[in-house]
Amino acid sequence: MDTAYDQTLDVKGAKCPLPLVKSRKAIGELAVGQVLRVVATDRGSVADFQGWAKTAKNVELISQETGQEAGQDLYIHYLRRTS
Amino acid sequence: MTITETTIAVPALQAAELYERLLHDPTLFILDVRNPDDFRRWRVEGRAGLESLNIPYYEFLEDEDGAIARLPRGREVLVVCAKEGSSQYIAELLQQRGNKAAYLQGGIMSWGNYYHVRPIVTTADGQLVQVARPARGDVSFVIISAGQATIIDPLRHTSHYLEIVREAGATLTAIFDTHVHADHISGGPALAQATGAPYYVHAYDAIHPIDMLPARIAYTTLEDGQVFRIGQLTLTALWFPGHTLGQMNFRLTAPDGASYLFTGDGIFLRSFGRPDLGGKGETWTPLLYESIYQRLPRYVDDTTLILPAHFSDLDEGGADGRFAMPYSALLQTNDGLAPRTLAQFTTYVLGNLPVFPPQYVEIKRVNIGLATPDEAQADELELGKNICALSH
Ligand SMILES: [Fe+2]
Repeated sequence: MDTAYDQTLDVKGAKCPLPLVKSRKAIGELAVGQVLRVVATDRGSVADFQGWAKTAKNVELISQETGQEAGQDLYIHYLRRTS
Repeated sequence: MTITETTIAVPALQAAELYERLLHDPTLFILDVRNPDDFRRWRVEGRAGLESLNIPYYEFLEDEDGAIARLPRGREVLVVCAKEGSSQYIAELLQQRGNKAAYLQGGIMSWGNYYHVRPIVTTADGQLVQVARPARGDVSFVIISAGQATIIDPLRHTSHYLEIVREAGATLTAIFDTHVHADHISGGPALAQATGAPYYVHAYDAIHPIDMLPARIAYTTLEDGQVFRIGQLTLTALWFPGHTLGQMNFRLTAPDGASYLFTGDGIFLRSFGRPDLGGKGETWTPLLYESIYQRLPRYVDDTTLILPAHFSDLDEGGADGRFAMPYSALLQTNDGLAPRTLAQFTTYVLGNLPVFPPQYVEIKRVNIGLATPDEAQADELELGKNICALSH
């Protein structure tokens, strides 16, 4: 089942720490309760987003999935702003 | 005063400099900004007293002051991450906040693939060069004498060996693996293909111990007692089963009477090779016992320099990273070699087995040609430090 979201952030090609830094900024621009979908190609983002969601007070990691596009692996994260 | 946007230049430390500082700089402090799982799995290790701390980079983003407060005051911090991006980012942040910081260029991946080359014995008869991958605790050797060279236990990145042989103006006559390794991918078959020199390994190790499938690489088997000449030097292959069924020791003798023993994963400086990586620890333990207590003493004397394929921590290399010790000294310091009955030895072994890294089964497949990973998969398989020794 597809997770519903309010906005997409494309960080394909961006390397650590940029996917997370940009997501953090984008989450701050959402309204409380809204969901951000982050599309990354950096495999390290999977574990880092999990750790970040545990650390940050206003972020909930709803789900993560993988995909494929033009032969490269995609790592997709769904994050909700909680406060 | 005008405020301009400037990036503060943060010093980048290369893997070679990191190694020097791990060996010689007791003030080194490492801040690892990867996530806790990655840190737990593998980190930069140094001497026993090395101080390091794991604070993931996102904790600095969420609570900059709190994270900085956990760092030692007034002390330079070396920031480390997977590939360097986050460590550079955090090092810049620390500099802006008045903390001295540098970052590891290329991240922990470049440290993992760093090779340190140094001659450890040079005489009129030849030269013995130690080629180590300090992050993994892997050690290999190039022996050069009178225009001939051989390699023992070459590691995956073969260019280092080709360069040593080329610089010595020598011809590579043979490539040896003491055994089929479980912890790292051998450079042996690739070197044989590149140079035409024969690749030797014992045939017992050419059957995967778990899969029971035969090797798909070209190799020549070794016989117990088989003799090879390298210029002025003589190399004798000696069977030492236990860590693997085909584990060999290589005894090198020089005209000056000096002797050297390349033990592979037989005995190490502070331990010995675990007998369970073939999945048959209890069956292979008596073989190992016989090798250590009966075979080994027959072909070493007190002065024989023992040169293993691994170390577990940097202190084993003494002051300057020379991972070798005379047999007599080893008997004093290596508790694994203390006199024991077979029953005591078995209890000792089975009580000190570390975790069995699951990728070790696959690495053995790779080493006998049953699997062919690409570069990224090979890096992934080799992640971390070897766990070939018994705990001690
Ligand atoms: Fe090993």
